[in-house]
Amino acid sequence: MANDILLKIEGLRASVEDKEILKGVNLTIRKGEIHAVMGPNGAGKSTLSAVLAGKPQFTVTAGSVEFLGQDLLAMSPEERAWAGVFLSFQYPVEIPGVTITNFMKTAVNAHRAGKGLEPLKAGDFLKLLREKMAFVQMKPEFAKREVNVGFSGGEKKRNEIFQMAMLDPTLAILDETDSGLDVDALRIVANGVNALHNPEKAAIVITHYQRLLDYIVPDVVHVLKDGRIVKTAGKELVSEIEEKGYDNL
Amino acid sequence: MIEVIFVKDGQLVRSIEVPGGQRADMVFLIMPGVSCDVKLDVRLAGEGAEANIYGAYVCGGDEKVSIAVDMHHDLPHCNSRQLFKGIAGGSSRVDFYGKIIVAQDAQKTEAYQENHNILLSDGAKVDTKPQLEIYADDVKCSHGATIGRLSEEEQFYMRSRGITLEDAKVLQMISFIAPVLENIPETDRESVAIQFEDAIRNII
Repeated sequence: MANDILLKIEGLRASVEDKEILKGVNLTIRKGEIHAVMGPNGAGKSTLSAVLAGKPQFTVTAGSVEFLGQDLLAMSPEERAWAGVFLSFQYPVEIPGVTITNFMKTAVNAHRAGKGLEPLKAGDFLKLLREKMAFVQMKPEFAKREVNVGFSGGEKKRNEIFQMAMLDPTLAILDETDSGLDVDALRIVANGVNALHNPEKAAIVITHYQRLLDYIVPDVVHVLKDGRIVKTAGKELVSEIEEKGYDNL
Repeated sequence: MIEVIFVKDGQLVRSIEVPGGQRADMVFLIMPGVSCDVKLDVRLAGEGAEANIYGAYVCGGDEKVSIAVDMHHDLPHCNSRQLFKGIAGGSSRVDFYGKIIVAQDAQKTEAYQENHNILLSDGAKVDTKPQLEIYADDVKCSHGATIGRLSEEEQFYMRSRGITLEDAKVLQMISFIAPVLENIPETDRESVAIQFEDAIRNII
C-alpha cells in the first residue's frame, strides 16, 4: 500500500568537502515501523541522519528523499522540523546563554507559526514543559539551565528525548542515542522513545551496538557499510551482527 | 546605584572618582546607528573602593565605535570589573582599548577586564587592545579579549528543532550580550532587552 509510505530514500549520494560519504542509499519506511541502521564506524550512519535533517555542511549530489509525499531535500532544516522530522543528536550542542525554557518556547511557537497557529499561552507552555520533563525524569530545575551546558552524557540524551516529546515528531531519527549512557539512562531514553511511538509514526534508530535494540525493538534492520545499505532483514539480524561482526556479513 | 547610559553620536568623556568604601556601577549601551568615541577614566581613590563598568554595543551599518577605559587602582583593597560585549556587522568598525593600572601601593587589588566580540560580516572590523600595567605584587588581575563568529553548529541544532535561522541568530546574539544587560536594574531590564532584540533583528 503506497500511501503507507512515510519515508522513501532513493539513490541518495552525499558528500562533505568533496568526499563522498553516502554512495547510493535506498530505504523505504512505512508508518508504524521502527528501522535500525547499524554499521561500523565511518560507514556513513551519522551522515545519513544529518542529511535527512538538512545539515548545510553536507551536499546531496544525487538521489531523492520523499517524506509523506513531500520533497524533503528541497526543504530547510526548520521546514523539515515543522513537517515532523526530528533528529536526536549524537553530540547535542551546547548553547550558552539560552535556557531550556526559552529554547523550547521558541521552538514550539515556531512549529505553531509553521502551521499557522498562534503562540502557546505562557501557562499552557509551562504545563507542557513540566509534563514532558517529568516524562523523561528530568528535574524541574533543568528548565532554567542553559541548553546542554555542563550536562552529563546521560542528561544530554534525556534532554534530546524531552525535546522530542515536546515537538511530537512523525519521524524520529535517533543518532547513536545510546552512546555515553549508563543502563538506567538507556532505559529512560528507550522507554521515552517507545511511549512516543504509534502506528502513524516511524523511527530510525542508528546505532553501532545491539544494546539499545534490546529496549527499542526494530521491525527492520539495515547494515550500512561504506555508504551503502548492504543487508536488510528482520530483528534477527541484530544478534547475527553481534555474533559475527560487520566484517563477515 | 547603577547608572545606565545610552550613548549618543559623538564624544563621551567621563572621569569618575570612587571614594574609599564606595562603589560605582555603570552600564553603557550603544545601539545600531550610533558612532561614538567613549573615553572613561576611572580612579579608585580610597581603600575599599569598587567599580563595575559594563558595556554592550550592536553595529550593523557603517558605525565607528571607539571605547577606551583607563582603570586606576591607586590604593589597597580596591576591586574593579569591566565587561564589554558587542556585535559588529555591515562595514562597522569597533575599537576597544582598556587599561588597568595598578600602582605600587595598591596591594590586594582585584581587577578584571573582558572584551568579547562577534563579527557578523567580512566587512566589519574589530580591534581590541586589553592592557595591564601592574606595579604591586599582591594582586589578582586578569584580562581577556575574543573575536568570534556565530556558531553554525548551534544554528543547525536550533533549526533542527524548528527555530528559523533568523530567530536562531537573534537568540545567539541576545544571549551573547545578556551578561551585560543583566546588570541593568530589574525595572528597566526587560525593556532594554526588547530594544536590543529589535535592533538585532533589524541588522541581520
